[in-house]
Amino acid sequence: MSITLLYVEDDPEIGSAVSADLRERQFAVRWLSSGEGAIEAAAGCQLAVLDVMLPGLDGFTVGQRLKRAYPGMPILMLSARTSIDDKLQGLEFADDYLTKPFHPDELAARIEVLLRRSGAAAAVPLQIKHLIVYEGNNVVQEAATGREIPLTGKQFQIFTYLLRHLGQILTKEQIYEAVWGESYIEGDKTLMVHIRYLREKLELDPAAPEIIETVRGIGYRVRA
Amino acid sequence: MRTGSYLRRLRSSLLSRYLLIIVIALLFIPVVIPMTFIGYSIFSAQTREDSPKEYAPYTSIAKLETRWHQEALNLLGQPPESINERIRQLSDEYALAGMFWVDGQGKTQLNLAPADSELRKQVHAEAVPEQWSAAEAVAFMKKSAALEPLAIVAFIGDREHAGEGFMVMQIPDALRDEQSFDGLGSWYLVVLILIFAGFIVVSLLFFIGVRNRLLRLQTAMSFTGGGGVPEPVTPGGRSDEIGRLEEAFNTMVSELTASRAREAEEEGLRKRLVSDLSHDLRTPLTVIRTHLHVLGKESLSPRGQESLVLMDQRIENLSGLIENLLSFNLLSSGRITLQLERRDVLRVLRESAAAWYPLWEKEGFTIGIDLEGEALYWNIDESWFRRILDNLFQNILRHARSGLYVGIGLKVQGSQRVIVISDHGGGMDSRSDSKGAGLGLSIVDLLLKQMELEWKVESSGEGTHILISRRASSDNLNKI
Repeated sequence: MSITLLYVEDDPEIGSAVSADLRERQFAVRWLSSGEGAIEAAAGCQLAVLDVMLPGLDGFTVGQRLKRAYPGMPILMLSARTSIDDKLQGLEFADDYLTKPFHPDELAARIEVLLRRSGAAAAVPLQIKHLIVYEGNNVVQEAATGREIPLTGKQFQIFTYLLRHLGQILTKEQIYEAVWGESYIEGDKTLMVHIRYLREKLELDPAAPEIIETVRGIGYRVRA
Repeated sequence: MRTGSYLRRLRSSLLSRYLLIIVIALLFIPVVIPMTFIGYSIFSAQTREDSPKEYAPYTSIAKLETRWHQEALNLLGQPPESINERIRQLSDEYALAGMFWVDGQGKTQLNLAPADSELRKQVHAEAVPEQWSAAEAVAFMKKSAALEPLAIVAFIGDREHAGEGFMVMQIPDALRDEQSFDGLGSWYLVVLILIFAGFIVVSLLFFIGVRNRLLRLQTAMSFTGGGGVPEPVTPGGRSDEIGRLEEAFNTMVSELTASRAREAEEEGLRKRLVSDLSHDLRTPLTVIRTHLHVLGKESLSPRGQESLVLMDQRIENLSGLIENLLSFNLLSSGRITLQLERRDVLRVLRESAAAWYPLWEKEGFTIGIDLEGEALYWNIDESWFRRILDNLFQNILRHARSGLYVGIGLKVQGSQRVIVISDHGGGMDSRSDSKGAGLGLSIVDLLLKQMELEWKVESSGEGTHILISRRASSDNLNKI
């Protein structure tokens, strides 16, 4: 099943090159050169990539309208302006933000992360080292044997949070606040205890973890 | 022409107005005093009853005196009887005055008192001694000098050494008009006091007027309107010093408003310029970068691939440089206000380090992060604080690559904790090739200053430590 992206970019050179690159990465792309008709075109799209500087309606206005029409659809803003005004104004509704000149790989990676976070890509099972994760069904299996690994609610929440930010390092505060919904108090061992139990279940050798990596001084990371 | 305007200005001057008040007050004194007398005499002439007709011969003392001396001269060498005769005649003529004469031996010869008992009492007719001693003569003269009563004394023959005695005419007080002037002293005082009071009131009114206008101006100056510029005052319509001050103030206000508007316009222009410039620079870079990526998918020699990677890196650096250049432009012109909030800097540090970690890893850096401990709250603008860290980390990646080390930690210095960012590169001085690094660090410096933070660079051949701490002057609460 292919994922459809709405892409609004007024510069024809960038637009055509980026569309081509995204299509090569197996996305279906609807490229518009202005904000007109964006709402209609967004029907059936899983994600929108918007340029900030557009003729007529600017990217922020288009984005805000899209967000109202499709609250669940992630929006990635692209900007050629300096981040000073844009970041504050843009990120209120946008889910992510990328400054030009971006590398096509970076754009693709951000799109993947956003899709995973929104659940649009959750139907696709994810293989990490010796594990296969079916996120939509809350199932984690050992790839080799197909054995299901039972996880508690909190353990699964922690694991999926890390998976949704695959490759990103997350601080203890970020994980705790996302999973427990409360602000993290320095010195709280709850998260460490949960990670330890999670590792005992997931890792081949819990003493030398490969799945959930500790980044000393910062937090944890799950690499693809 | 020039003199005319000078005179006009002088006429409308506060100084000349005040001088006018003083001059009028001074001129008024010599004018008002005679007027007082005139006014008084008119007033008294109308109110006072006329004195009886028979008093008329006595009003002019000088005339009486001349007449008396003339009579005395005529009596020279006359026998006492003739003198008596003449004095009796005179007494008939001046019936209301007392008269007597004393011969050469000091004996009172004739003592004629007025018929009226009241007048008689006033001339002290009974007190005239029969025989005059020296003491009595002196006592009489003293009384006369004090006008009790007024006496006209003439030696018979009008010469002292004639030795024929003297003759005296006594005029009772009632005949003279003197008491009529008794009230003049107090009248005069009242008028003087009125003049001075009037002068004081006029001066006071003058100064109250000046003061009120000055106060109005002061109020207008100290209350600022919407744009932080005072409102203009409504001109009082006078062209004196304060009127001109008001005009000058209004001119200043309008110029200030215009300059504010110009500033705001410049600010808008600058922001738009920066924004357009950024757009115009980044769009072609994006095109180049995307096409480099397309090119990278073609079959290229390893050298070609290497060139592509290098170009891509340069584009990335250029992008950072554009961002810094434009930020610096806005920051240094004071066009950006930071939103300072109390934030845990350790958290911001961890999150920023998390974003940079993969890059350091890729470059093979050893990473030493030690940010354990209680939260460290500083007043920072989070997004700009991240920019500071980004610039510092970028600097390490670009210019201290040789050390292959990045350290982020805390150090206790004095009573407060400071952030230490270290590398093992060649030190700041060795970075002669670091063109553009100055800009990033200038931004760091500007931003830290605006957040009331300070930084210290300890650089040597073995590496660089950058210490960021709170400025000593900022409040020392929550220091650890």
